[in-house]
Amino acid sequence: MTAETANIRLAGVPTKRRRLGEQGERGKWWRLLAIFVITLIMIIPIIAVFVLSVTPSQNSTATGFTLENFAHVFTQTEVVYWLENSLLIAAVTVVVCIIVASPAGYVLSRGRNKWVSSYALILFVVQSLPVVTAVIPLFILFSNLGLVDNLGGVMIIYVGATMSVAIWMMAAYFDSIPISLEEAAWIDGASVFGSFSRVVLRNSLPGILSTAIFAFLLAWNEYLVALVFLRSDVNYTLTVGLNTFFQQNAADWGSVMAVSVVMMAPPIIIFSVLNKYFSVGGIGGSLAGR
Amino acid sequence: MTQQSGAAFTRRAFIGAAGGIAATTLLAACTRTGGSTGGGNASGGVLKFWNMPWGTPAFLTEDKKIIAGFKKGGFTASYQQIQWANFTTQFATGASSNTGPAVSSGGGTTSVLYAHDGKIQYMDDLINGAWTTNGLKDDFLPGMLDALKTTEGTTGVPYNLDVRPAWYNKKLFTQYGLQIPTTWDEYKTVCATLKTKGIYGFGVGSGAGNNIGFHAITGFMINNGGGWFDSNQKPAADTAANEEALDFVLELVRQGYSDPASSTYTNQNVYTQWQNHKIAYGIDTAGMAANVTGAVSSEVAVADPLTSPSGNKGFLYFPNPMMMWNNTPSKTANQDLITYYYQNMAPLWTQKTGIGLPPLKSIANDPTVSGDPNNQKIIQDWVTPGIFKTWGAPGNSGVFFNVANTVDGTQPTYTFAQQVLTPSNRQTAKQMLTAFQTTLEGLMK
Amino acid sequence: MSTETVSGALKRARNGVGVSGSGRAPGGTKKRGKAVKFTGTFLAFALPSVVLLLLLNFYPVIYAGWQSLHFGDLVNAGPFVWFQNYASVLTSAQFWTAALFTLVFTVVGVFGSWAVGLGLALLLRTRIPLNGMWKVLLLLPWVVPTVVSATSWNWLVATPQSPLPVLAHALGFGNVLFLADPTLARVTVCIFKVWISFPFMMMMMSSALASVDTNVYEASRVDGANAWQTFTRITLPMVSRTTYVSWILMTIFCVNDFPTIFLLTAGGPSNATQTLVVQAYSSVFQNNQVGPGVATAFLMTIVLVIVSVVLYRQIQKVNIE
Repeated sequence: MTAETANIRLAGVPTKRRRLGEQGERGKWWRLLAIFVITLIMIIPIIAVFVLSVTPSQNSTATGFTLENFAHVFTQTEVVYWLENSLLIAAVTVVVCIIVASPAGYVLSRGRNKWVSSYALILFVVQSLPVVTAVIPLFILFSNLGLVDNLGGVMIIYVGATMSVAIWMMAAYFDSIPISLEEAAWIDGASVFGSFSRVVLRNSLPGILSTAIFAFLLAWNEYLVALVFLRSDVNYTLTVGLNTFFQQNAADWGSVMAVSVVMMAPPIIIFSVLNKYFSVGGIGGSLAGR
Repeated sequence: MTQQSGAAFTRRAFIGAAGGIAATTLLAACTRTGGSTGGGNASGGVLKFWNMPWGTPAFLTEDKKIIAGFKKGGFTASYQQIQWANFTTQFATGASSNTGPAVSSGGGTTSVLYAHDGKIQYMDDLINGAWTTNGLKDDFLPGMLDALKTTEGTTGVPYNLDVRPAWYNKKLFTQYGLQIPTTWDEYKTVCATLKTKGIYGFGVGSGAGNNIGFHAITGFMINNGGGWFDSNQKPAADTAANEEALDFVLELVRQGYSDPASSTYTNQNVYTQWQNHKIAYGIDTAGMAANVTGAVSSEVAVADPLTSPSGNKGFLYFPNPMMMWNNTPSKTANQDLITYYYQNMAPLWTQKTGIGLPPLKSIANDPTVSGDPNNQKIIQDWVTPGIFKTWGAPGNSGVFFNVANTVDGTQPTYTFAQQVLTPSNRQTAKQMLTAFQTTLEGLMK
Repeated sequence: MSTETVSGALKRARNGVGVSGSGRAPGGTKKRGKAVKFTGTFLAFALPSVVLLLLLNFYPVIYAGWQSLHFGDLVNAGPFVWFQNYASVLTSAQFWTAALFTLVFTVVGVFGSWAVGLGLALLLRTRIPLNGMWKVLLLLPWVVPTVVSATSWNWLVATPQSPLPVLAHALGFGNVLFLADPTLARVTVCIFKVWISFPFMMMMMSSALASVDTNVYEASRVDGANAWQTFTRITLPMVSRTTYVSWILMTIFCVNDFPTIFLLTAGGPSNATQTLVVQAYSSVFQNNQVGPGVATAFLMTIVLVIVSVVLYRQIQKVNIE
């Protein structure tokens, strides 16, 4: 499905690119300079993390550039397990979240009645409650269900935590898809589900990706729930593992920065791979091909 | 089944399930592995032991080794590290869902807090029984066993002493021909000299997660015979002794002897300023020499306790407890575990894992501990003469339930310290103490 | 299509987003049979989310509500005190200071990150070499764990020897206390929030802009509109729905944002950067004042819901026009 969608879109891209290109050929280098300066300023705090991760830690004899912080965290801590757990939790959260949120988002987008509006509002109210008030009751509930120190318990909470926003994001994207596409499918005898899965979802890749990224990053960076619910160190996620380097009044900064870099790597790789799908034009391109 | 193998099983189940992400498979995997959280009965089982990272990563390694060695009456112990960030949440969730530890360490007030909720197994039987026979009771440094005693019983025993001595930079003091101050007046003179060199003499911070600012202010009050509580365990902030002490601290701040940015300094910021030679005297933990990097690490040394104008000495410390919990498969096994731990915990200090000072004489006198000049100085000149007092000062020797609600890491204490450390704040000591007295009364339970 | 007039394009733009994407219920005007089928399918579509919603929220909300009416601690409920906690919270000056700063923090956070995010999305939409790389790099502030970015920012601004104060000093601003001065601390925290949040906005607006038909711009250019007119009269209306949705979402994120402030300033100096959620957390977990803390959280939620209902109405209006 993905490949096919991309193909349809890509067919529309060259023309569009060209038009935008002509319009801005002269300013291209100015824009490059602008984006370079902006990006540089924006990522200074992050460059600092990278620099500190290759700087010798306080009790080290090494000087200059060193990888000993990485060597330390990979040999002395369970960082591989943490990475695995984080990836697994984030992946399951993303997939389940999209599976739950896309149909619900479709309802929000296409259904326009009292019930749907109230549901949209309830989703919102629920999302508004701060997680600090929910941690303890959820823990009591989950410990009765045997979901403590269990990656599954954390996944369920993350799906719940991302769901409302994901539904809203999907709904916002579905709104940009003209209903005429579905109507055409209905005339061909498709069911609502059929038109949803074959027409709407297929044209929603940018929306799904945005939502997936949102869910991924929430699951990836969440700390409080993971800390409270995951107890054994082989079950930690990276955020919880990262905090094991903080002592009462001090921290092992070399390890903190090394694990931070480990934490940043998967999202950077994923974004880089997915990047070409972001830049693929939206629904306009696919319409042009019809 | 131990916690570890249970966890490994969870992992395998999930990796297996990850292929087909069917929600049913997931939930089945969840429920199948649930409940492997230790337990047992009177004839044997696993005791859950929780501890915080009191020192460097080496601490965890040594500590796990000690716990792994426990085996008595069919019981063994499982280890769990409790991170400092949000540790209260971890104890609260554990206690309220009965998934908490059997034996644990905790923050300075954890044992009195949960004893109030009926979750703690009192230690008096053990101390007056087995520990008297085997000599552990006599091995505690003077006054230690009273530090966590409430009217109901002994909620825990000190596990490590988190002290707040004064530190100074030897090199800078020599360079500018300064003597270690022994009185408040001498200290002020030292600060004035340092100021002319662009160096701060009152080096503390009160930023995110850094409560040493409030500890230092409290320390000066105790130094002057003051403190926050009277002998009825009621707040007594607004006293003459406190006012005199706070006036002194405010003078240090407003004369420019402290960094104007220090009200928002984290611990790391303060250490950075020591490293930058911007601080030459300040209040910190016993482990400061290990927390500053580079050459400064060997330049810093513990200073002498100051004598206040009223002739008093004194400062603040936290007897961090080890405690037993009622939620355990066997209360006898709890006693066995804690006894075993206290008899075998010496390596945490002898291996220099960065934990605070030991509560036991036998460990404090070990050459590897007393051989460190800073440790030796703290034990000889600060701990042994009884300089250090708890949060309960001046009215009480130990901590109690309301200490946890009022002064131990609560948000108003940060605010108070930040106000004190802000030079542009023009409130008088009296005004601030009157307001803080009201705040403390409002936090009492 | 490229010969279409601006008025036509504008009309479509006001209709919502992109190419007539108005998202109206198809059931109403179509055949009755289809409408019935819709109800069933829609129920099935929404069901999984409803189940999760109930499972994860019903018990915690009831439990927290119960706590807010008691005066106890984290383990024991304590005595039932009716609405005393709410009364004591509402009459404390600290609550109102925190509420005011929450408002400022949210408004700056939402509009600041939106402006930066939209600006970058527009810039990245044009032809720039290495377009993809910039996009990935600019998403980084969102990727870094807050505990690390807070440390980084602290390193940038905290002490007089930190890079930014040194820069400010060199530029002749004197000794600038980015965190220790109450007003500047507020500004710093808000900028930190914008920095953390703009990638989300950039992503939202990028995907909205991607769905805008570029033909509309052609038409507008033919009609002689300048860049600013094109932006305000075409681009903005076309992404209006996504804009409103992202405003609502960002409002929730800002109001509920605990780590940003807690890790950078913990509400200091002297409560200057205290927000309601940090105050709720402090009350519950640091001060052992569970009832008042949860009451604070509930009061905050009520206001948040009201604000978002207003914004939500706005979205519906955008669709109906």
